[in-house]
Amino acid sequence: MASLSLCSSLATTSTLSQNQKSAVPAFKTNLNFISRSLSSLRLALPKQPLFVPNFSQTGAPSSLAESETEPITEFEPTVEIAEAEPKREEVFAVVMVGSRQYIVFPGRFIYTQRLKGASVNDKITLNKVLLVGTKTSTYIGKPIVPNATVHAVVEEQKLDKKVIVFKYKKKKNYRRNIGHRQPITRIRITSITGYQDSPAVTLP
Amino acid sequence: MNKKEVFKLAKGFRGRAKNCIRIARERVEKALQYSYRDRRNKKRDMRGLWIQRINAGTRQHGVNYGNFMHGLVKENIQLNRKVLSEISMHEPYSFKALVDISRNAFPGNKAIAPPKKEGLAILI
Repeated sequence: MASLSLCSSLATTSTLSQNQKSAVPAFKTNLNFISRSLSSLRLALPKQPLFVPNFSQTGAPSSLAESETEPITEFEPTVEIAEAEPKREEVFAVVMVGSRQYIVFPGRFIYTQRLKGASVNDKITLNKVLLVGTKTSTYIGKPIVPNATVHAVVEEQKLDKKVIVFKYKKKKNYRRNIGHRQPITRIRITSITGYQDSPAVTLP
Repeated sequence: MNKKEVFKLAKGFRGRAKNCIRIARERVEKALQYSYRDRRNKKRDMRGLWIQRINAGTRQHGVNYGNFMHGLVKENIQLNRKVLSEISMHEPYSFKALVDISRNAFPGNKAIAPPKKEGLAILI
């Protein structure tokens, strides 16, 4: 499961690192990133407010927009071509869930150990954020980044694929055949917030 | 397990082991034993792979793996090796920041010398 989430995150991390290096090919890779993330966007609720076009959106989503307009002012000098899209900022975070660490992107899902007491479509905040990275800076936590939270929505609570546990001792007539399905939870990450403290700036 | 399940698990085996029940049953049992053992071995192998990758990444910045991890432990950074290897591969600037933090926390690595040019590269 951890490797699955890594594989799903590897594809976008490759586009992220390309974005950091040069602006010109970033146009194409941004489109790839968005087409993948848009398909996952449609399933996620609530709908994310559009960042770059309108800062003047007021009302209920304004609290989200306010906390997330600050990283945009960092981006605008660098994101000169790709203004039409991302409804999400290019952030990643390393979060610890179920005593395992995951690299997390907004709009993608991860499989974690079963979270007891969480039903489908529950909003969840993950507090143990060990590192947050944006296009221009990295916030490294010792051990956690203060006030950083990752918001997620529980999508599914299901059982993992069956694993056959077969124990056998030779010449002793001992064999045991047991099937095992681990309960897991699928979580879709909606946003990463609250990390404007003590950055270690990394310039491209 | 009955024969149908055995043959289902014996797909892709070589020779008679995928067709004949007596041989297939033995091979399938062996395969299941290996998978039980290797589920434990996979964890060890992956950790070794991550350590190799982190080592390669830090040596590019003039720090070796042991000093790097010591520096991280001193700074109370609790990223695990899996995540560190992923960052070293895909987020080079974040990784460089981590290496700098570790180097400040625990000095004792030689400064990076520019790589010696050998052969025709001297001309450049």
